[in-house]
Amino acid sequence: MELNGVVHGYQRLHPHPTAGPRMQMHPPEYSTTTTECLVREQDRFMPIANVIRIMRKTLPTHAKISDDAKETIQECVSEFISFVTGEANDRCQREQRKTITAEDILWAMSKLGFDDYIEPLTIYLHRYRELDGGERGSMRGGDPSLMKRSGVGNIDDFAPVFRMGSQLVGPPPPPVPPAATVAGFLNDAAIAGGGGGVGTSRRATGVAGFQPYVRFKE
Amino acid sequence: MRQAGAYSGILSGGGVSGRTGPHLLPLARIKKIMKKSSVDVKMISGEAPLVFSKACELFIEELTKRSWNTTIQGKRRTLHKEDVASAVATTDVFDFLIDLVHPNASGDVDLDEEHVLEKK
Repeated sequence: MELNGVVHGYQRLHPHPTAGPRMQMHPPEYSTTTTECLVREQDRFMPIANVIRIMRKTLPTHAKISDDAKETIQECVSEFISFVTGEANDRCQREQRKTITAEDILWAMSKLGFDDYIEPLTIYLHRYRELDGGERGSMRGGDPSLMKRSGVGNIDDFAPVFRMGSQLVGPPPPPVPPAATVAGFLNDAAIAGGGGGVGTSRRATGVAGFQPYVRFKE
Repeated sequence: MRQAGAYSGILSGGGVSGRTGPHLLPLARIKKIMKKSSVDVKMISGEAPLVFSKACELFIEELTKRSWNTTIQGKRRTLHKEDVASAVATTDVFDFLIDLVHPNASGDVDLDEEHVLEKK
């Protein structure tokens, strides 16, 4: 099956396990198809403990998970990341951009059929920016005078943390129109080569009238 | 026994922390996997792994729930790989995983071959 024309550089060094821990089913020599990818197995997958934690959160308390199921899902996550990234990367190349942005990821997910994820992800991203922007501006505690400034929800460097301690996925989110959100809001939010600095020099200047936290406006 | 710190991945949200925040999945690892997805991935914005950390959580939740449906249909309490395979087979968006859960005869993943759904 052709995976939408996306070729993954991510390849396995050994066949899928049939049961239990990863076992090599043939001598440990690398075939020609896998020589490009001599990476440690731990780097190719999410840590299994994290995967299991999320699974358990989803399942009833009495549920048990076999080892092969855990590993399979662990592999599936990596495949998911590769799959979506490949599509996002294609888009960047078509548009002659060098940096894969959050918006590209969301676009790719939508294109590949993961529409249900878009809204929660958009909300998650907004909240993270709100919290992180507050920290980097050294404004813990939600100074009310600053709240006034960004009361209409313009996300800038000094967005205060007016919900300290709030869960990122807890309270009901403000209504956010997903399509407009992604296209407009994230337009200028790309940070080249970022390793995690999500609070620097971000201006939502490309956003015309976008107000994520105005609850009553429609 | 390992203790969960205030900012561990146990909490899906829960409070402000440092740069990484209370994510369930490590951003650096996500970024590595993204880079490996294609030889020409150049630069990745700081927020892209972040979006993935949440997206992967949603993905795992969905895949797990659907797999578990098969488990309980079989009146079992242990989720097996076959249940995951069944979830993949019955969900359109998971088509890209078919090769992963149903390895073909050679055991290798051939990405540019037509997949033949014979072997399970």
